[in-house]
Order: sequence, then structure tokens, then C-alpha cells
Amino acid sequence: MAKKSKNSKGKNVVVEEEEDRLIPNLLDEEPRNSTQEEEDKAESSSSEYVSSDDNAGAEGADGYDSLTDTESESVDDEGNVTTDDDNDGESDSSEDEVAPRNTVGDVPFEWYKDEEHIGYDIAGKKIKKKEREDKLDSFLASADDSENWRKIYDEYNDEMVELTKGETKMIRRVLKGMAPHPEFDPYPTAVDWVSIDDAEHPFPNAPEPKRRFVPSKWESKMIVRLVRGIRKGLIKVDDKPKEENRVYLLWGDDPNSTERHHIPPPKPKLPGHEESYNPSLEYIPTEEEMKSYELMYEEDRPKFIPKRFTSMRSVPAYNKAVRETFDRCLDLYLCPRSQKKRINIDPESLKPKLPSRKDLKPYPTTCYLEYKGHRGPVVSISTDSTGQWIASGSNDGTVRFWEVETGRCLRVWEFGEAVKHVAWNPSPELPVLAVSVGQDVFLLKTGLGNGEEQKRVEDLLNVGSQMTPDDSDGGESIVKWSRDDNHGGIRLNHFKTVSSVEWHRKGDYFSTLMPYDILLLSSVLVHQLSKGLTQRIPFKLHGLPVSSAFHPTRSIFFISTKKNVRVYDLLKQRLIKKLETGVREVSSIAIHPGGDNVIVGSKDGKLCWFDMDLSSQPYRVLNCHPKDITNIAFHRSYPLFASSSDDCTAYVFHGMVYSDLNQNPLIVPLEILRGHASANGRGVLDCKFHPRQPWLFTAGADSVIKLYCH
Amino acid sequence: MPKHYRPPGKKKEGNAAKYITRSQAVKYLQVSLSVFRKLCILKGVFPRDPKKKVKGSHHTYYHMKDIMFLKHEPLLEKLREIRAYEKKVKKAKSKKNRDLAERLLSRKPSYTLDRLIRERYPKFIDALGDLDDCLSMVHLFAALPAKERENIQVNRIHNCRRLSHEWQAYISRTHKLRKTFISVKGIYYQAEVEGQKITWLTPHALQQVLPDDVDYNVMSTFLEFYETLLAFVNFKLYHSINVKYPPILDSRLEALASDLYALSRYFDANSKASRLDSEGVSLSVSQQVEDKQDETKLDEFELRLAQLQHQLPSNEPGALMHLVGDAEGNEEEDTDTRECRYLFKNMKFFLSREVPRESLLFIIPAFGGLVSWEGEGAPFDKSDQSITHQIVDRPTQQRKFLSREYLQPQWVYDSVNARIVLPTDAYFVGRVPPPHLSPFVDNEVEGYVPEYAETIKRLQAAARKEVLPMPGVGAEDLADSQTLLVEGIIDRAEAIEAAEKKEKMSTLQKQYHYELKLELQGTQYSSIANTVKQNDAVETDAGEESLSNLQQITEDVTNMSKVVMPRKKRKLYEAMQIGKERKRVRVDLLKERKKKIDAAKKS
Repeated sequence: MAKKSKNSKGKNVVVEEEEDRLIPNLLDEEPRNSTQEEEDKAESSSSEYVSSDDNAGAEGADGYDSLTDTESESVDDEGNVTTDDDNDGESDSSEDEVAPRNTVGDVPFEWYKDEEHIGYDIAGKKIKKKEREDKLDSFLASADDSENWRKIYDEYNDEMVELTKGETKMIRRVLKGMAPHPEFDPYPTAVDWVSIDDAEHPFPNAPEPKRRFVPSKWESKMIVRLVRGIRKGLIKVDDKPKEENRVYLLWGDDPNSTERHHIPPPKPKLPGHEESYNPSLEYIPTEEEMKSYELMYEEDRPKFIPKRFTSMRSVPAYNKAVRETFDRCLDLYLCPRSQKKRINIDPESLKPKLPSRKDLKPYPTTCYLEYKGHRGPVVSISTDSTGQWIASGSNDGTVRFWEVETGRCLRVWEFGEAVKHVAWNPSPELPVLAVSVGQDVFLLKTGLGNGEEQKRVEDLLNVGSQMTPDDSDGGESIVKWSRDDNHGGIRLNHFKTVSSVEWHRKGDYFSTLMPYDILLLSSVLVHQLSKGLTQRIPFKLHGLPVSSAFHPTRSIFFISTKKNVRVYDLLKQRLIKKLETGVREVSSIAIHPGGDNVIVGSKDGKLCWFDMDLSSQPYRVLNCHPKDITNIAFHRSYPLFASSSDDCTAYVFHGMVYSDLNQNPLIVPLEILRGHASANGRGVLDCKFHPRQPWLFTAGADSVIKLYCH
Repeated sequence: MPKHYRPPGKKKEGNAAKYITRSQAVKYLQVSLSVFRKLCILKGVFPRDPKKKVKGSHHTYYHMKDIMFLKHEPLLEKLREIRAYEKKVKKAKSKKNRDLAERLLSRKPSYTLDRLIRERYPKFIDALGDLDDCLSMVHLFAALPAKERENIQVNRIHNCRRLSHEWQAYISRTHKLRKTFISVKGIYYQAEVEGQKITWLTPHALQQVLPDDVDYNVMSTFLEFYETLLAFVNFKLYHSINVKYPPILDSRLEALASDLYALSRYFDANSKASRLDSEGVSLSVSQQVEDKQDETKLDEFELRLAQLQHQLPSNEPGALMHLVGDAEGNEEEDTDTRECRYLFKNMKFFLSREVPRESLLFIIPAFGGLVSWEGEGAPFDKSDQSITHQIVDRPTQQRKFLSREYLQPQWVYDSVNARIVLPTDAYFVGRVPPPHLSPFVDNEVEGYVPEYAETIKRLQAAARKEVLPMPGVGAEDLADSQTLLVEGIIDRAEAIEAAEKKEKMSTLQKQYHYELKLELQGTQYSSIANTVKQNDAVETDAGEESLSNLQQITEDVTNMSKVVMPRKKRKLYEAMQIGKERKRVRVDLLKERKKKIDAAKKS
């Protein structure tokens, strides 16, 4: 179909082109044709027209059938319309073929109305008006002449013109409203010669300017000038400036060269054995290692994996050569450089010079005895002032009473509740054991000493039982003193759980801690045994009390809260000092027997040594344990102190305090004591020194008490 | 008034005034970033690390003095001029005025870097000290194929090749090469020039990979500087041995792509012509061996060369005659150089097609050997009977001369590193050569001595004994190293001994305690069965415990000393320990692998 349509179009085009050519020809030649036709084919045409005329004459022409009625009417009164049309056709033909006779031009006919001529011919002679014919004659003549209908009077030339067949056809077509020529197509199919859909600008159609064809005058002038310049040598033409070699002796031997203040770039690292093309076999990672490299993150993976080639010809090109050179370039110009001192010292030289441990003997080194019998973690131990006995309290609700040298358990008290703290009265005359269990504190007679002493204890404890009803300065509301018949002693019933009991050095006073309420003033109580009195500490505490201690010689009382240790004068009843530990949580506190030095153990494994005369900051912090320090202890006579921790170890230190105030205390770690097993994440729970010998007792969460001797 | 307040009109102080960020610097200098980069590279300006970063830690800071240094650089003005000129060219091009564009391009303004080099390296020694990167880069570019690319110009590559050959010729000629190492990345060389150790890397002579994500502009700027630097250094070095610098080469040899050999010939000719060099002639090329028979022929050759260089009038053949002989050692040479110079003395090498010719042509003459190769322009033929060694790198050698040894190239490199002529049997054709070890590693410091390093050491000692009349020099050396080792061991041993003693004591004590315990238990709880069991357990454990106890004790000692250290020192100590540990792990891994390999070999 498409092809066909194209073809048809092509044909159309051809036709139209012909038409275009034809139309002027037609216009040119038609008159001649028409005249020839008149002469040659007069007969045939006449016959045709006759027939048509007949039709017209009979019942309006067939040809006019298509026309409207009005037009048929206009045809009927022939005169005006036909004349007009004929006039046009006539003038056309006459103009083209023979010049019109009359030469007056387009002037109104009225101007010649009264003249006897209608105008002038080419020669300038007057054209005379024709004689007016008689109307009747003319009518008769027209009636006689069958060709009369095609004759028209030309007013301009004053003659009758006979229309040719073609002209009548043309007139008919014009009357129908069609183009005069039958072959003219008023609506040809449009052809896009140039597609301008996507063009931005209109199709340039400007003719080429003249200057394009004419050689430039000014250029030729310029050329002449240049040529003259070159000839005269004013303008030099050399194609390229010469490549001169610019290398010369840059560094002569002049001594006054300036020092450069410039940090030289670090040299690239020299290759090791593993970068060899044929390294020793041990430098090549095994297959498992290679696999493990693949599992690593991209960044962690080794940058260079050694490879082995058995001959030099099999070494391939290194594909990162350019890349690495480029990285080196970047390092050279983008990395900040700074000179850093490299420390090249033996790490051993960093260690402080300490006195030899041999010189600091004796100190506990090896486990000598184990005291077994408890069935739960041993929480607290306490030694008798004579050093012959120790007491231990355990979570299984018992307090045991051992002979030190044999390890024999002399006595067992059952409490049925976990024992928190055990403390032996430091006074040798009063062998009384204080035990804190839950909310109670028991004072137990141990049955030691001679009869006199036993009697005294008996009396004292009996007196205590009598004194319970007595109310003494408001202590009654807090603590109830009562006789305990089960264990044979005094029972002090507190209103809260008691965490620890500490004796005063003289053995008459003891303090108890109830670390449960910050707001309560009375969380630290001081009791007097001989009178059965209980007192509150009249100081405001900032935080929960963790541990407390009496000064070994003076009436000074230490209370540690989680962060700080406060030192109070009991006589003057005021705060003397506040020691800032700087640790996370204090767990225990111990006072040097001299009284001027305090050690504090903390739950982050740090041990702080305070010199009270020096400052309120620690004199030294020893970061010895990886886990909580549970307890610390000073030896009463030897310059030793120890710390026990949940990491199942106990440290023994040499802590010498000099009487010369200018000399700082000397602290030397001596020994790490191991041997306890871990139970429930807890290790060594308590440590105490023997009062006379350099021996250390440790109580473990594995329900064993150990004695370490020198 | 708060400290940070700066009253108006008062100048900035401190870090804010001393340091300037990069973008500020670019604005301050009124240049584009690329020009700034170029300037920084050429002037050797690098960023600083101020203590207080005023604009934030994500910026790069430059010292204000450095920026002022750049600001007053005449090169800056020159670069601006070039930029303006480029605009002209561009304009001409876009106006389709190709003539003008070409004309403009041909007279581009250019700059020289000699002043910059002088400024950066006021002394020649400084330049030599900084030559490592320069040489590596020039050698890398010399190895690239000389074909036109958009990022690297061909003439640069040719220039690099020329410079690298010139450098190698100098080093080889003056016997300054000390160490060589074939690595996976390429071949490392270390030379010692005026007391400076210069190490560089040449890639293997294979197709190089040119990645796309590399900024070749930066590289070419560096290369531009390095080329100039190396040219000046070469000039100075050539000048120091009285050779005219831009060497004019025998075009025939050059065409055969054996520039190095051509250069060495040039050296010889030059030294003779200038009548100054009295020593090197006999060593580098074939004169020494053939001097008696072929003297006339050689002279002809020399004459031709000299004529080529327009240095000698053609009618003066007699001038060359007396230069051939009289080749005695120079007194000013140090022992090292002499040692290197006579390493391959009286040896004649022939290189097969497949071995890395460039490298060996460089190394063997540097150590006093004579080399030839397969191909045109070679000084002597393959069938020469006087050839002692043929370097071959192929699975098997079909046709063999009995008079020479067929060796793999690694033998040359290993011998050079060991400074002795190594026994050849391990390196014969077709065998897997012994491991190639890096000469840059100090095995004692590293903590692990590979097996082959020890054999080489023994061979060295043996060789020294042979050479030196004094007996036991080598032995002493060995003993020294051994004593060194022993000293290290003694410390350890002492510690272990002490620990053992202690351990013994403790076991005794334990036994005693145990007996005591038994007694106690016997009296109190009397659970004999239990104790017997425990007894067994204890005895079996004792052996295992002793070891762990030893470790425990040493650990305890270190722990205790750490406890008393101040925090600063403790951290430092710990950091050192980490480094040591890493090293130890590495060495342990190597030892373990070695053990496994040995075990696999035995079974």
C-alpha cells in the first residue's frame, strides 16, 4: 500500500510539474489554439454545441443541472453576466495574441460617449464608432444566425467577438466555481521537501555574499607587508626555539651553602626476607592460614602475602607498581611531617630500683596451714590478741574458733544466718568475740584465759544482760541489749542489718555499721561494753558508710564512704580531715599502727596509701589487682601490709614508715600469695596478720582459711 | 578580659596566625588548586600538624612561612604566565586559527627547576640522601613502554631511560653497588655514594599495569622534578670522575638497545681521551683479558668511538696507545669498594636470552666481571672458550661447554650479597635454587635466622680464613656472634635456674605441708581414702605444675615491679611489651612453620 501511495504521489508530482509548465503555455497558446480550432474543427464542434444547446433550450442545460436555480436564471438573462465573463476572456486572448486595436487604455467609456470615435489605433488614427444597427435588424440577424449565442459585443474595441469552444468551456467552469483550466488541481497533496521539525532556527536561505568569492584586499596587503618584513629581516621565521641542554654543575664547591630547615621524608621501608621471589619455605603461609586471611576483614588482612617462584623467569610483573609509587608520591606531598623522638631504651630500665626482697624478710611467702571445716565461703576472720587463736565467720551461719598452730577447730557456734563480720576484742584481758549476724551483734565469751579473766568476762556479759532494760541517752530506740542464752553472751539487736563490727584498741568500745540509709544519722553506732551504752556518731555522713576504723592511739575515728574517707575527732566532735581517694568504690580501710598512714582498698583493684601529714590526696596508688579488693590489713609490729582480692590472690607489701618526717614511706611489693580457688566469682574474702609473727591468714570463698608463713 | 578575645586591630597570635588551611592558602596565593599542588610538590612544601587545629581537625594545615615561601617563588609568576599563554592558544584554536595555534604552541614559555633543586638541596650530600624515591620513580617510568598516551609523554619515558642508564653506568663503573635483592616487586639495588646509602627499586622488565584511578598529573609533576634532579646529580657525578656529561653514545649500540654497554664504552673512551683515568680501563670491558693479542683492533675501535664523539682528531692514534696499560688500583678507594671490585675478577660471563639482561649487565661489571650477551653488539661470542660462567634460566641446557658452568641468575645476586663467590652446585640449571634472602635484614635484630643465612655466614668465615694470613679471624667472628647469643641465653638461664631452685624448695615444702595435713586429717577427720586419692592427684599434677609454676613466678616478679611503677612509665612499658610480643609471635610462627616443614621432609 505504502509503495503504491508513493508511486501515486510520484505520479502526481510529475503531473503537477507538467501542469506548472503547462499553465503558462496554455495561457500563451490557448488563443492560438482556439483560433485554429475555430478554423479547423468548426464543423464538429458546432455539432457538439448544437446538441448541448438543444438540451439547454429544451429544459435548462444538462450541464447546468448541477447549478442552482439562481444561476440558471442568470444564464437566462444572458446579457450582463456573459458579457463580463466574455470580456475578460476576450481581453486576455486579444492582449496576448494581437495587441488591442484601441490604445486609449483603461479610461471610462463616458469620455468618448459624445465622440464619433472610440479611441486610437497603434498608428494614432482615430477608430471610428461603428454605425448603430437597428435593433430589429440585429434581432433578426441574431435569430437567423445559429452561432449568435457565442457572439459578444466588445465595447472597448467596438466589435463583435465570437467565443471559441475552449473559451466557452472555461466560462462554464468558472460559472461552476471551478478553476478555469480543467487540468489544474487546486488542492495538490502537500510534499515536505525539507523536514524542519527538529531544527531550532529557520532554514537559512540567505544567498552567499559576494565577499566569499572575492579575494581579500586587506589580507593581500598584509601578506605584502609580511613578505617585505621577512625580506628585510625585520621578521624572523624559525620553526622552533632550540632545545638547549640546561644541565650544568649545580653543586660547585662553595662552602657557604646554607643549611636547610627541612624535614627529610622518611625513607621507604626496605624489603625483608618474605618479599623475596624465592623466600625460605617458612615465610610462606600455609593453606589454613591463607584461608583464615580470607575470613578476615579487608583492613586486617596482611598487605603482602609471600609467594615462592622456583625460577626467575616465572616471576610475573608486579601489578601494583604504579599504584604504590603513586601512594608514595601522595605520602610525600600530602602527609604532615614532624620529627618524633624515638625512645630506644631497655624496658627493664623503666622499672624502679627497689630494695632486694631478701633484705626485707621476713614476710609470708608460702602456705603453711589450711583450716578446713566451713561449708560456705569464709567471710571474716579475726585473730586473738595473743596470736594463739583465730575465729572465722562463714556464710554457712557458723563461727568457728581455731587453734592457730595446729589447725584444730575448738568450738563452733551456730547462728543459722550468714555471719557478716567477726572481731576479737584487742584487749588481752577481755577475750570476747564480737559477731555480726543479720540485724544482731553477738558478744560471745570464748572461754579462754585463766579463771580470773573468765570470771571477769562472765561478769561483764552478765552485767550486760542486766543493763539491757536501762535506757541510755536514746540508744534504746536503735539498739536493744539483751542476754543471749543460746550462745552465752549479749545480743545487740539493731534495727537494720549490721555489716561490720570494729573494736577500739582498749577493748571497751566498739562500733557497728549499718550501711542502708543515707538519711539516717545513726548508721554508725558506738557501743560501750562496760556500761552497755550505745551512741550515735554525731556527724553527718555524706553517703553510705562502707567501713570504719578506730585510730590506734588517739581518739580519732575513720569512716569511709564510697568515695572519701572522713576523719573525725571523737573528743572534740568535729571533722579533722577528708581524704579523697579518687577510686570508684572504697571497700575497706586500714590504719597503720603509727596512726599517720591509712590504706584504702577499692573495688576497682586499686590500693591507695595516704600519708595524713602529707595531703588529702593519696601518696601512692598501687594498681595491683585486676578484680575487687576485698580487704586490707596492716601488721601490728612488722612493716607489712596485705591486700586480698577476688582474683584469688593476696599481695604482701613492705610498707616502711620512717620516723623522720622528711622521708616518705617506702612501699615495696613482696609477694603474691596464691592458693585459693575461685567460687561464685569470688576469691579471697578476708586477710588478717598474725599479731606477733609475720604470718598472714586469708579466708577464701572456697571455705578454706590459709595461713602463710615466712 | 577573656583569654580568647582579640581586640580589633590586634593581630592574630598563636596557631591561628601560624597555620593556614589549604583552601585558605589557595585563596591567599590566588592560584588554582592544581597549580598549588604543583608548587607544593616542586618546592617540597608539606602540610604540618599543629597542636591546636583552629579550623577543625578535618583540614590540612600549612605553615604560614611555607605559604609565604611559595608566594615569593618566581615560579608562581611563571605558572601564571603559562596559564595566560594557554588561554591564547585555546582562543586561537577555537577560532580555528590553526596556524596561529601551532605557532603559539611551538614557543610556549617554559620554566627551569635548577634553582629549586639548589634551594632544596643546598649540598650535594642532601640531594644524594633524598635520591631513593627519585631513582625508583625514574626507573619505573623507564620500564614503561614508549608509546604515546594521553597521560605520559614518550619523550619523558625516553629521558627516564637515558637517565637511569647514565646512573647505572656511573654506579657500575665506580663499583659503588653494594647490595641487590630480587623481590616480587622488582629488583632492589643499594649503592653507597659519598657515604650515603641509596636504595632503589627497578621493576621487572615486563608489561606494567597502569591503573585508571591514579592521578598522573601528580606523578608527572614529581617525575618532572626527579628527572631534573637526577640529571644534575648525574652531571655532578660524571664531573667528579672527569667524564663529559651528556654522554654521546655509539648510535649502533644505542639502536641495539644496549645503552648500558654503550655507556660503559663511552666511559672507557672518555677516560682515555682525557688521559685522566688510569685505572678503570682494564676492568670494565674486554681490554684486560685480550689486551695483548687484540690491542691494535681495540685501538681501532676506541679511535672510532673517539671520532664519533668529536673529541679526538682522527690523526692521533698514538694518543690512545699508552692508555691501555698502566691500570693499578687507586689508593683512595676504601676497602669495601676494593672488595666489590675484585669479586668477579677473572670471570667471564655470558648471558642467555631469557635472563634479565639489563640487571645483570649492570651488576656483573659493577663487581669486576666481564659480560657478554646473546645478540648483536655483544663484545664476545657465545662460543668464546674463555667464558667461565654462563647465566641460564631454563629447565635444561642441551648443549654444554665443559669449560664453563651453567648457573641460574640468582647465583650472581646471592654472591654479590654475600661478597664471596658462592659454591655453584646449588644453582645449576634445572635445580630449585636455595632461598633468596634479603640483604637488608639484620637477622639478629629480627630474632630469626633462616637456615641459608647461616650457611652463607659459615662460607664467608671460611673464605675469610683462606684470604687472611691471621688464623682465626673468621672463627673469632663466629665466636663473637655466638657469645652474643650466649650472653642473651645466660640471662634467661639464670632466671630459669633460680626459678627452678625455688620450685624445688616449694615442692619440698608442699610435701611437708601435705604430710602435716595428713597428720591433721588423720587426727581430726580421718578420711584416709580421700587423702590417698588426693596424694595421687598431687603427684601427677606435680610435673605439670612445675612448668606453670615457673612461668607463674616470672610473671609475678614482673607484675610486682609493675605495681610500683608510675602510671606514665607503666603505660610505656606495656606498650613496649606489646611490640616485643608481636615480634615474638612472628618469630614463633616462623619457627613453628620451619619445624613442620622439617618434620614433613623427614617423614
